[in-house]
Amino acid sequence: MGKITYKRLKGSQNMRQRLLLATLKSTPVLIEDIHADDTLPGLRPHEISLLRLFEKLTDDCLIEINETGTKLKYKPGIIVGGSHLVHDCGVSRAIGYFLEPLILLGLFARKTLVIILKGITNDSKDPSVDTFRSTTFPLLKRFGVPSEGLKLEIKSRGVSPHGGGEVHLAIPTVQHLTATMWTDEGMVKRIRGEAFTTRVSVQLGNEMIYAARGIFNRLLPDVYIASDYRKRSEAGNSSGYGISLVAETTSGCCISADTTVSYPRGDEEEDIEGEEKKELIPAADVGEKLASVLLEEIEKGGVVDSTHQGLLFLLCALCVNDVSKVRVGKLSPYGIETLREIRDFLDVQFVIKPDPSTGTVILKCWGSGMKNLSRKTT
Amino acid sequence: MAMDSGADGQSHKAHRSRHSGASAKKKTKAKNKDQNSDQKQQNPKAFAFRSNAKAKRLQSRAVEKEQRRLHLPVIDRSYGELPPFVVVVQGPPQVGKSLLIKTLVKHYTKHNLPDVRGPITIVSGKQRRLQFVECPNDINGMIDAAKFADLALLLIDGSYGFEMETFEFLNILQVHGFPKVMGVLTHLDKFKDVKKLKKTKQRLKHRFWTEIYDGAKLFYLSGLIHGKYPKREVHNLARFISVMKFPPLSWRTSHPYLLVDRFEDVTPPERVQMNSKCDRNVTLYGYLRGCNLKKGTKVHIAGVGDFSLAGVTGLSDPCPLPSAAKKKGLRDKEKLFYAPMSGLGDLLYDKDAVYININDQFVQYSKVDEMGGTTNKENKRDVGEDLVKSLQAVKSPIDEKLEKTKISLFSHNGRKRRKAIFGDGVDHSNLKSTDEENEGDEDDDSDNDNDEGENDRSNEDNESCSGSEFSDGDEEDLKSEDDRSNEDNESCSGSEFSDGDEEDLKSEDGMGNISKWRASLVERASKKQNINLMQLVYGKSASTSNTSANEVKDDSENEESDEDEFFKPKGQRAKNSIEGLGGGNINTEDCSKSTKISELKNWKEEEVYESIRDRFVTGDWSKGALRNQMSEAKTEEDDIDGDFEDLETGEKYESHQKDDSSNGGIQKEDDDAIEERRLKKLALRAKFDAHYDGSESPEEETDVQNGGKFHRSQANDSGYYDKLKEEIELQKQINIAELDDLDETTRLEIEGFRTGMYLRLEVHDVPFEMIEYFDPCHPILVGGIGLGEENVGYMQTRLKRHRWHKKVLKTRDPIIVSIGWRRYQTTPVYAIEDQNGRHRMLKYTPEHMHCLAMFWGPLAPPKTGVLAVQNLSNNQAAFRIIATAYVLEFNHAARIVKKIKLVGYPCKIFKKTALIKDMFTSDLEVARFEGAAIRTVSGIRGQVKKAAKEEIGNQPKKKGGQAREGIARCTFEDRILMSDIVFLRAWTQVEVPHFYNALTTSLQPRQKTWQGMKTVAELRREHNLSIPVNKDSLYKPIERKPRKFNPLVIPKALQADLPFESKPKNIPHRKRPLLEDRRAVVMEPHERKVHALVQHLQLIRNDKMKKRKIKEEEKRKEVEAQRAKDEQVLRKRRREERQERYREQDKLKKKIRRHVEA
Repeated sequence: MGKITYKRLKGSQNMRQRLLLATLKSTPVLIEDIHADDTLPGLRPHEISLLRLFEKLTDDCLIEINETGTKLKYKPGIIVGGSHLVHDCGVSRAIGYFLEPLILLGLFARKTLVIILKGITNDSKDPSVDTFRSTTFPLLKRFGVPSEGLKLEIKSRGVSPHGGGEVHLAIPTVQHLTATMWTDEGMVKRIRGEAFTTRVSVQLGNEMIYAARGIFNRLLPDVYIASDYRKRSEAGNSSGYGISLVAETTSGCCISADTTVSYPRGDEEEDIEGEEKKELIPAADVGEKLASVLLEEIEKGGVVDSTHQGLLFLLCALCVNDVSKVRVGKLSPYGIETLREIRDFLDVQFVIKPDPSTGTVILKCWGSGMKNLSRKTT
Repeated sequence: MAMDSGADGQSHKAHRSRHSGASAKKKTKAKNKDQNSDQKQQNPKAFAFRSNAKAKRLQSRAVEKEQRRLHLPVIDRSYGELPPFVVVVQGPPQVGKSLLIKTLVKHYTKHNLPDVRGPITIVSGKQRRLQFVECPNDINGMIDAAKFADLALLLIDGSYGFEMETFEFLNILQVHGFPKVMGVLTHLDKFKDVKKLKKTKQRLKHRFWTEIYDGAKLFYLSGLIHGKYPKREVHNLARFISVMKFPPLSWRTSHPYLLVDRFEDVTPPERVQMNSKCDRNVTLYGYLRGCNLKKGTKVHIAGVGDFSLAGVTGLSDPCPLPSAAKKKGLRDKEKLFYAPMSGLGDLLYDKDAVYININDQFVQYSKVDEMGGTTNKENKRDVGEDLVKSLQAVKSPIDEKLEKTKISLFSHNGRKRRKAIFGDGVDHSNLKSTDEENEGDEDDDSDNDNDEGENDRSNEDNESCSGSEFSDGDEEDLKSEDDRSNEDNESCSGSEFSDGDEEDLKSEDGMGNISKWRASLVERASKKQNINLMQLVYGKSASTSNTSANEVKDDSENEESDEDEFFKPKGQRAKNSIEGLGGGNINTEDCSKSTKISELKNWKEEEVYESIRDRFVTGDWSKGALRNQMSEAKTEEDDIDGDFEDLETGEKYESHQKDDSSNGGIQKEDDDAIEERRLKKLALRAKFDAHYDGSESPEEETDVQNGGKFHRSQANDSGYYDKLKEEIELQKQINIAELDDLDETTRLEIEGFRTGMYLRLEVHDVPFEMIEYFDPCHPILVGGIGLGEENVGYMQTRLKRHRWHKKVLKTRDPIIVSIGWRRYQTTPVYAIEDQNGRHRMLKYTPEHMHCLAMFWGPLAPPKTGVLAVQNLSNNQAAFRIIATAYVLEFNHAARIVKKIKLVGYPCKIFKKTALIKDMFTSDLEVARFEGAAIRTVSGIRGQVKKAAKEEIGNQPKKKGGQAREGIARCTFEDRILMSDIVFLRAWTQVEVPHFYNALTTSLQPRQKTWQGMKTVAELRREHNLSIPVNKDSLYKPIERKPRKFNPLVIPKALQADLPFESKPKNIPHRKRPLLEDRRAVVMEPHERKVHALVQHLQLIRNDKMKKRKIKEEEKRKEVEAQRAKDEQVLRKRRREERQERYREQDKLKKKIRRHVEA
C-alpha cells in the first residue's frame, strides 16, 4: 500500500470529469500526453487554474506536473470546502467551466462551500452563470440537495477578453444523493430569461429581448425576459452582451440556452488590434438565434438540455444504491464522454434505451452509493 | 355435576374438585381473572383514571415508550433470494460447541456429522436456510466470526459460570454492529441439587441480561442423552432460531461479503512444482451477502490482505430452497445440506463441472466387482461403475484440465499482428485477414455471451472456458477490436464519427467495418435496440470488467511499437493513440455546451414552429401526454400498473387501465389517477406488511420477498414515520420493477451480482502460506472494499479504554485494531479536545473518559466501530479487549499538538526590560517568537521583543569570543529578579507515526501467536532494561535555609520628612534598672493571710490533678491492651481469608491453563 498505483489516462479531454471523479472516488490518476502535439504543449491556463481550485478545496492533495506540462500526476485529498475562499478563474475560460465540477465537489465536502469566483461570467463556450441559477440548481434539487443553501450571486458581470466578473457561490453539503425517476418532460408552460449588457447601450438588451419574444410569441404567451443593464464597477472590464433563456415545463423541467457576444480574447485579439475591431453580431440576430436554439433544445426533448446531460448523468451515477431513470434528448458528445468516464471511474453503467416515438433516449442506472465520507460525525 | 348424575338415576361417585394444591390454585386464578375481565367489559368507566396527574403521567410515559421504539426505517436493498443466515456457535473450549452443531444438523437433516469443519449450510424451512459456523477460540477468529454472524449462539458452561471468552465475544459483537445473540447454557447435568441449579440459572440469566438487555434469551440444555443433547430441547432451540428476525446492520448492508464455504487452489501444478513457494491462484466460494458485488470491486480476505478479483462467476445454488409448492413442512428430499469443508454434501457444482462425492461407507458394489460376480445385473452396473470409476480416477479435475487446454482463435499471436500494422503504417493489403478476425471475434463474442448469460447451466458446454482464460480471450478481443477500429479510421478517414461530431449516432454509416459485424450481431440478438446505443457509448459490452487494465496494457504496447521507429510523422502518432471506439482527438476541448450549432431551422416558418406546438401548453395536451406515455407504457405499466398478485394475501391487484391511449385528453388525467392509485396500493401493502408482521406464524417467514420486515405495528400512525416507510417501500418497488425489466446480462452489468447468489471468486497471487496453513476450522471472510477504503491515511477515532482492562493505554504503543473487515496493528496518538478546539496530546488515555485517538492506516468511513486488542495470545487470563472506539473522520493531516515550555534565565535586568538567555538557541529562533507571551514563575507576565543587540549587556566580544546568540530582549509588567526563571509556553505539532501492519494471521500456523511490533514495555522486559529515570524529575525533600534579613535602613531624607512619632529614636541602653523596678514590697497582715490561703488552695488542687492523671493513665493502658488483643484476632482472621482466596484463584488459573492446553 505504500506505493501509489495511478490510474493512467491520456490526453486533456474530459479533464474536468476525470479530476472530479478521481477526487470523489479518491483514485490517483496520471494523465499523459496533454496537448503533446500542439505548438504550445502542456496544460492550458484554465486547466491549471482548475487544478489550483481543486487544490484549494481539498486537504493534502498532490499535484505534480512535468516540465513541459504534458504529464500530470494527481493524487486527490479529502474534500474540505469551507468559506471565505476566493479563486481567480482567469480569462481563458468562463466561470461556468469551473462551476460544473465545483458544484458536485461542494456537495461532498466536509464543510459548506462558500467561494468567490472571479473571471468571465458569461461566455459563448460555457454555460453562463444565469443558466446555473435558473436551470442547474433546480436540477440539483431533484437529487435531494437542500435548496436553502444553494446560492449564486452575480456581483459583477465580466465578458471576454478581460473578464472582471465576480460571483459568490454557496453550496451545501449532503450525506448522499437520492435517486430519481425523471422521465416526464411535460410541456413548456413558460419561458423566462435574462438579457444582460455590459459597457454597451441598454438598447442592445432590449433589441435582443424583442427579437426573442418575436419567435416565442407564436407558441406561448407566457414569456418574460428581464434585462440586466450593468455599468461601471458591476460591468467588468470589457463590453459585450448576451442572453440566457430557460423554458419551464409543467413537470418542473428546465431547458435552457444561453449565449454571449463579445470581442474574442487572447492572441487573436492582438492581431485584430492592428486592424479595425471586428464587428459583433447584431443584437437582434443574437436574440433570434438563441430563441431558435432554445426551440431546438425543446424539440430534442428530454428532461434537461444537451448542456446539462453530463451533470445529470454524474448525479445519477453518484446516487445511493437505487435505480435512477432519466430521459434526455439526443445524447450530446459531452454526455457520451461523461458516460464513459463514469464507467471507468465509478464502475457504473447506464442502460441506454432509445425511445423511437419521441426521438429521446431513456437512461437507467444503479447508483454507485457514494456517501459523503469527509463529513465529520458528532 | 352432582345434580346431573342425580337426574340420571344411577348414582356415580361425584367428582370431587380439588380444594388445595397447584391445580386448585390455577383454577381459582383463572376464575378471578375471568371475573375481572368480565367486569371490565361491563363497566369500563369504573376503571378510568381517578387522578388527573396520574393519567397524564401514564400517557406521557406511553408516548415516550412509543417514540423510543421508533427507529429510522432502513432500506433493505436485497431483492433476490436471501442468503442463508449465519449462525455462529461460540464459547470457551470444552463447552460443547461442536456437539451443538452436530445435534442441530442431525435435527434438521437426519444426518450424522462426523466432525464440524467449516460452514455447514442446511435448508431449515421453506423460506430459510442456515449456515452453522463454529467460532474458533483465538481472538482473531472471534473477531472475524463477529463480522459475519447473523446470530451468535453463546455457549456457556453452566457448571462453571461465565468465562472471559463470552464477554470478549459480546464486546466484539457490539463494536461490529450487534447481531442477534442467544445464550445457551450447557453442562447443567453436573448439578445434583435442584435448588442450586435453579439458583445458578437465575444468577447466570441476570448476569447475561445486564450484558445485553433485560429479557435476552438464555436457553438451557440439560445434560446429554446418548452423547447428544436431548431431542426435545434441540427441537425447541431450532424453533427459536427459525422465528428469529435479523435486523440489517449498517456496515454489512453497505459492503458485500462472503463467508467462504469452499476453497480451492487452482494454481497450475507445473508452477507449483517449479517453485513450491510461488504465489498461488485460489478460488473462493460462498454466498454473497450484504450488498451487490460489482465486478471491479476489490476485496479484503481477512488475515491475508487486499486483492483485486481476477474473476467472479455466479454458480447455481448448491443448497437451493425448495420449490414454492403449497405444502406444509419440508420433504426429506428437500432437507439438503452442504458442507464441502467437512467433506459432506453429495454434489459439488463448479462453474463447469459437477463433482459427485460418494461416502466410503456407501460404496459397496466395488467390492462385488473385485470378487468377480458375473450376474447380468452386475454386468449392467459395470458400465456405470466404470464410468464413475474413470471419473474418480481422473487425476486433475475438469476445471484444471480446461485451464491447461487453450482455445486458440488466432493462428498467429496478437502482438506480431499489431507490429505489422503499426510498423508499416498504412496496411490495406490484409483486408481479408481482418474479415477473418472479425469472424473470430464474433465467435468469441458468442462464447462470452454464453458464459455470461447461461452461467454454467450447460455443463456439457466444453467450449466455455475458465476465468483466467476468459479474460485472456477478452484481452485479445479488445486488441483486435482496437486494430480494427484503427483501420477503420484509416480507411474512412473522413468519417463523421472520428471527427467527434456525433450528430447522427443512430445512423449506420460512418462506422465502416463496425457496421458489418454489428449487423450480424444485431441479427442474432435482434431483441433490443438498446444494445446498439450502449455499444456505441461503452464499446463492447463484455469487456467492462477490466477495461482500465486493458487500456493500460494497450498503451504500453503502443509505446513499445513506438520505440521501433524513433521518428515518426506527427499525424501518424496521433492515429496510434486513438483508442477503440472512443475515436477523435484525445485533447478535445472540454465543453459541456455543444459548441457547434449546426444550421438552425428557420423557426419563423409556420410549419417548423407548428411541428413542436405540442411541446407547449398551448398545443394539444393529449399528444404531449402521449409523448411521455409511450415509454412508460412499455416499461412501467407492465410491472407496476399492471396486474400483480400479492403473494401473502393472495389478493390480486388488477390494473384498471384498459382504455386505449388514443383519447389522450383523458389520458393525462388518467395517468395522474393511476399514479395516485399506485401509491395508495403500495401504502396499503406496506401497512398490510406491518400488520402481518406482528402476527406472523413462526414457521414461515414469507415476507422475505417483500422486505416488510422492519415495519413495526404502531398504535398511533405518526405521519412522518409512515411517510418515510412509504417512501422506502415505493423506492424499493421502483427498483425491483426497473431491474426486472432488464435482461439477465445487462442486469448483471448494471447492478452487479445480487445478494444471495452463490459466487465463485478467483483471486490471483495469493501468498502460498494461505494454502499451506489453511485450516477449515477457521472460516475465511472475504469482504468487499467500499469507496475510498483502499486508501491509507489518518483516522480520528473517539476511543475509550475498556473498563475491564487493567491499565491505561500509552501513546505510541502499538495496538491491534479491527475496523471494518480489516485487522491491523498501528500506533495511535491519544489526544483530547480542549475548550478552544485544540487537540492536545495525551501521554496516556484517561481513566474513565473518552479521548481521541489518531492513527494511520487503511481508511474506514465515519461511524465505523473500532475494536482494539493488544495481546493476541490465548493463555492470557485477563480481558483481552483494551479499548473500543468509533471513527469520527479521516483527514490527511494530523492536527495534534503538545505543550512545550521554553525555560530561560535573565542575564541582565534593566528597569522592566530584561535580557533572557538559554531560552532560544539562535537569533532566528528569537525572531520566530517575537511577540510571544512569557511569564516568570512568580507570575510576572511579559513579552518577547527582539533578539538582544550586542551593545546592551551582551558583549562577549569584549571578553574575546563569539557573540552569543539566542539572547532575547523581553519586557515585563514589573521588574524581575535575577533569581527568577522565565518560561514561554508554546504548542508544537505531534507527528503521528506512519505505521500500520496488516495482521496476516492466515499466513501462519494457527496455533502460533501473531507477533508484530512490540511495545516499549515488552522490549524492556525482554532485554531486562530498567525504566530510564530523569533525576530532575524525582522528588526530593525541600531544603529551605532560614532567610537572613538585613536591618531596615530608612533613608535620611525620608527620616527627616517623617512625623516625630514614626521617626526612629536613639535611646541609649540603661545599665541600672529604674528605681520603680528595684524597690521591695512589704505585705499587711491581712494581705499575708489571704496570700497563704491562696497558696494552700493551689497546693490542694495540684495534688488532686496529679492523682487524676495517674488514674487516667491506668485506664488508657487497659484500653490499649484490649485493643491489641482484638487486633491480633482480626489479623489472624484476615490471613485465613486471604489464604482461602488465593487457594481459589490458584484453582481457577489451573483450570484455564488446562483448557488452553486442551
